[in-house]
Amino acid sequence: MADERRTVVIETVDQLMHPQTRRDFLRLAALGGVAVLLPGLFAACADDEARAGAFTLDLGNEVGYLQYAHALEQLEAAFYLAAVRSPYAGITAAETAILADIRNHEVIHRESLAAILGENAVPDLAVSLGSIDFSVRTNASTGVLDAAKMFEDTGVGAYNGAGRFLTTPERLVLAGKIASVEARHAAVIRDLLDVTGLAFAGDDVVDENGLDLALDVRTEVLPAIDPFIVTAITVPS
Amino acid sequence: MRDDQPPLASFEPEVPDRLVSRRDAIGRGASDSGGAAAALAAGSVPVLLAALARDSFAQAPTTIRGVLEFAYILESLEYEFYNAVLSAPAFAVVRGTLTQVETATLTQIRRHELAHVNLLRTTIGQLGGMPATLTAANFDFTAGNGSGAGPLAAATSDKAVLLATAQSLEDTGVRAYKGQVAKLMGNKDVLTMALQIHSVEARHAAKIRRMRGVKAWVTNDDPSFSPPAGAEAMIGAIYGGEQNTTHAEINFAGAAESFGGTAAVTEAFDEPMAYEQVLTVFNPFIAGGP
Repeated sequence: MADERRTVVIETVDQLMHPQTRRDFLRLAALGGVAVLLPGLFAACADDEARAGAFTLDLGNEVGYLQYAHALEQLEAAFYLAAVRSPYAGITAAETAILADIRNHEVIHRESLAAILGENAVPDLAVSLGSIDFSVRTNASTGVLDAAKMFEDTGVGAYNGAGRFLTTPERLVLAGKIASVEARHAAVIRDLLDVTGLAFAGDDVVDENGLDLALDVRTEVLPAIDPFIVTAITVPS
Repeated sequence: MRDDQPPLASFEPEVPDRLVSRRDAIGRGASDSGGAAAALAAGSVPVLLAALARDSFAQAPTTIRGVLEFAYILESLEYEFYNAVLSAPAFAVVRGTLTQVETATLTQIRRHELAHVNLLRTTIGQLGGMPATLTAANFDFTAGNGSGAGPLAAATSDKAVLLATAQSLEDTGVRAYKGQVAKLMGNKDVLTMALQIHSVEARHAAKIRRMRGVKAWVTNDDPSFSPPAGAEAMIGAIYGGEQNTTHAEINFAGAAESFGGTAAVTEAFDEPMAYEQVLTVFNPFIAGGP
């Protein structure tokens, strides 16, 4: 089910000109697949030309919230696939294993939600990770672990914020099963960036009541991930 | 510091047809309302310290308040455990083996558990309950049913056992909340609060596991440590079921051949824990009688 060939990482326009890469890209465009567009690709393209397709996310029902989760997992999977494929300078064996595990989990989340959504699965989104510096472990903003921390905290907050909108116990428990694993991811990534022993559940994400993030989809989550998703996602009010 | 939390006073009252007044609680008996709060309500003026009886939570909660009353007891156990580790004479030996950073981590966790206890107490009160104040005396951290000589006794002197105990409590907390969360759907604010606590417990679990030098996620039903003699059933209850690969009636075993295989599928989801299984884990930590 999960197949690494369904993701093509494209860093430069030259790669698109390479016969095999072009075949892969066109095959994916026809069959569906994630095209990960790395920095440099858009030097030759206008912003408007880069937009590929559109998707309407209807949050008026439970299916819409599962689609929301599916979109988030697609983005996370794409990020970790790229991060594992192009490891940052100085990555340790332990960090390699951790990122590979997280990548596995996100791909599994993506594929599970796709299978559960069936015909309602979100089409493969075009993702742009150009603002992330995959060669750098951390620079406090655009490094790999910095991006990972943002994606994981956002994921935890998204699931916690979405729970109230799920209408069936089965879907609530399913979301919960994933959410706690995202929280484990968040804790690990934060721990890798930390020397104090506190950041795994730091005061920047856990408040004075001991509560984790719970983010609003329209005002907090979608704006945070919008820079990374090329496909235009419309959310009717 | 975050300031985006709504004031606590915004919680909705419990659905009327499940609301149990104190008079009703006295008439029906303690177990019907669930939780230590009802046990106190069945008496006269609430006594500050009552022995926490297993009977008072032997039945799975059926109401929103009942779920929170049980969560309150679990969080109290966690808080008292970490507080004992950090300050009780009984734990002085193991405490002396902790690094400064490890102490800071456990202090942060303790702070969260205390916040959870207080928030749950306040919320239960808003829903008409009156939870007992629990102390370390209500619990047996050796998992010895009040004997103080249970299978986890080495936690007072051995850091490896201490951290395995902490991991056990946190991983149980994650699964216990997940097992009860659907019962909270009738109150969206309370549901969200429970989800927000549940993910913090998962952060705790992940960090404790990293302190132990093991993966932050649960692979199959592997506790990632050998249960101390006498704790096999308890540890088996904590991790039993985590090997599940079926979600929404689809079995995903074998679906991730290039991505960690079935083991990774079991890691990618944490499983809910049925109430009876939670009690198998939890009861040995209760110091009180039946």
